[in-house]
Amino acid sequence: MPDNTILLGAVAYDAKVVPIWEGIRTHFQKQGVPMDFCLFSNYERQVESLLAGHIDIAWNTPLAHVRVRKRTGGKSISLGMRDSDRDFKSRVIVRKDAGIRTLADLKGKTLAVGSRDSTQARILPLHFLKQQGIDASSVKLMAFDTDVGKHGDTGTSELDVLKALHDGPAHAGTVGDLIWVMEQAAGRVDTRKLEVLWTTPGFDHCMFDALPSLDASKVEAFKRGLFAMKWENPEHRRILELEGLKQWMPPREEGYASLTAALDEQQGW
Amino acid sequence: MNHNNVSAAVAIDTGDLPFGGGMLALVRPALDLLQPGGVLAVLTRQASAPDDFSTWCKVEHHELIESDAQPGGLRLLLRKGGLGHARGTLEDGLNLAPVDGRLDAAAMLAQVPFPAHADPGTGFAPRGAMVEPGGPVYAFRINDLDHAAPPDVAELYDQAVAAQWNGERDIAWDKLKPLPRALQRAVGQIFTFLAENELSALYVPSRFIARLHPHYVEVGQFLSTQLMDEARHIDVFLKRARVGGGGVGISHATTSASLHSLLMLEDFTEAAFLLSVLGEGTFLDLLRYIEEHAPDEVTADIVRRARNDETRHVHFGMSHVKHALKHDPTMYARLEAAVRKRSATLAGVGGVPYAVQDSLTILAAGGTNPEAVSRGHNKFRELMDVMHTNRVKRLLNAGFTPTQAQTLSDLHTPNFM
Repeated sequence: MPDNTILLGAVAYDAKVVPIWEGIRTHFQKQGVPMDFCLFSNYERQVESLLAGHIDIAWNTPLAHVRVRKRTGGKSISLGMRDSDRDFKSRVIVRKDAGIRTLADLKGKTLAVGSRDSTQARILPLHFLKQQGIDASSVKLMAFDTDVGKHGDTGTSELDVLKALHDGPAHAGTVGDLIWVMEQAAGRVDTRKLEVLWTTPGFDHCMFDALPSLDASKVEAFKRGLFAMKWENPEHRRILELEGLKQWMPPREEGYASLTAALDEQQGW
Repeated sequence: MNHNNVSAAVAIDTGDLPFGGGMLALVRPALDLLQPGGVLAVLTRQASAPDDFSTWCKVEHHELIESDAQPGGLRLLLRKGGLGHARGTLEDGLNLAPVDGRLDAAAMLAQVPFPAHADPGTGFAPRGAMVEPGGPVYAFRINDLDHAAPPDVAELYDQAVAAQWNGERDIAWDKLKPLPRALQRAVGQIFTFLAENELSALYVPSRFIARLHPHYVEVGQFLSTQLMDEARHIDVFLKRARVGGGGVGISHATTSASLHSLLMLEDFTEAAFLLSVLGEGTFLDLLRYIEEHAPDEVTADIVRRARNDETRHVHFGMSHVKHALKHDPTMYARLEAAVRKRSATLAGVGGVPYAVQDSLTILAAGGTNPEAVSRGHNKFRELMDVMHTNRVKRLLNAGFTPTQAQTLSDLHTPNFM
């Protein structure tokens, strides 16, 4: 069916993904931009489908984004990101009774980490810790490989990390600051037991990716539709709230340099 | 960045409280006091607070304007965002106090009056609550004061609560004596008929409670007392029909058709008019008749108690209808049309169901002696006149013209309810 419909891929990590993209599709149609979406169960298949040209645009996690960058030799087109995707951080949380006062104290301790494909709960915290002189081999790594394929979107492995910290046996653990702050805000963190040891440098999160071969008119139409979404518009706002942003932002690549370096270092490609 | 021009409207000191260990329990209520754009100053001795608030503000769409060291800790300035800001203002300074140790619903309604219109988007939020946006729109259909709540509904609710009685203990069941067979049958039939009608009076209002906007909850509260009244009446009426060797009698198709037409009503005001003003109003005369001719004091006590309850229902119905008529004169035509429509659906049904008619005659006669039955028959005929006269009075009281009142009363169902 050759037409000018933009076909977008997204990963169904939660039931809300359907109303989000139904809403965005309706919005695009009102803007005169024909768009449809298909849902994948994991980012690996979504990336392969993008590279194979089955979909026009992929809404990618940072891990999927840098893989697309690498597989296209840096020629892929980055189209946009959420305001909330910028300056993400991870936290190293410790048990107060574990006797950990500095990063050096982590050596020999049990460090709980999230899924192997979670940027914020495993890949980047381990990378930044190594830069601080704490190699993964110097701690007892306790890994929670849950929802693999979803790249940490579900947050399940981060909750596992927090549980292992609350109940033991973990002495320390790594989670994204979003989970850490929101779990505290929900009253689910026992601050008598846990505290923050360290906050990592910032990094960027999700990105819309397309192949360099994508028709220029589709690129323009997509950007036009995307950036026409306004927080002030109640219909848009409902969708933006579900997707966790206030404003779509232009792309930037510098926020992924640390992840690229981490994957080189961890042979995580 | 220089923020010297930013001044906080509210300032709080959270001491050593960790972000997730109590600090938010002070910060969030303080933010609730502000309108979007308002600034809150937070003093804290938690070094990680700027990081935590930076992320939290991003998610909650507040703005962390600055954090700087102060004597005694860090001072954070937060600007409240518009996301999730609950509509309205926090209730404050109500003058709600008990009188003589009692606190009634009318006193509360006086302090927190009904709104003219209610928004179905506020769901089950109690009247007066600030409502966080984004909740679902409920399918409430009675969202206007004019069609929902007469002004004295809270008083009626207070009266109803105070007047509740117990069908198990408050009736002197042990004083009931067996009656002669024919009279026993008549009593059984009459109470069967009463129970059947009261079942409809239980079902019909219940349909409207779930359609009523919760901001008019006093109406729902009153209706729930009405349901409790009907439940109790059904209970004691069926007990009376059966105790002392009697039994329930016949349910007539006329009764069934009449009550079915009540159950089909979709409009609250039409239902209040047909059920409470015309139906239960007519029932008051019927209950008085049964009390007057009751074969014993226990039976008289039962219908007297029921009549007291029904009087409140009629009062509510009258009050509701008069309130609606006052604000919407087109209601006259609508209510008349409702009576005519119901009458049309009941066309072809005979007069008062025969078993009811005969039982009321035997009851007034006190037995089957032909002379007494003749007197009983006259009493029954007088009852019809009394019912008509009192219906007309109620209709006139509601504001209908004498001609309308005569017509509407004539069109009323031969089933009484």
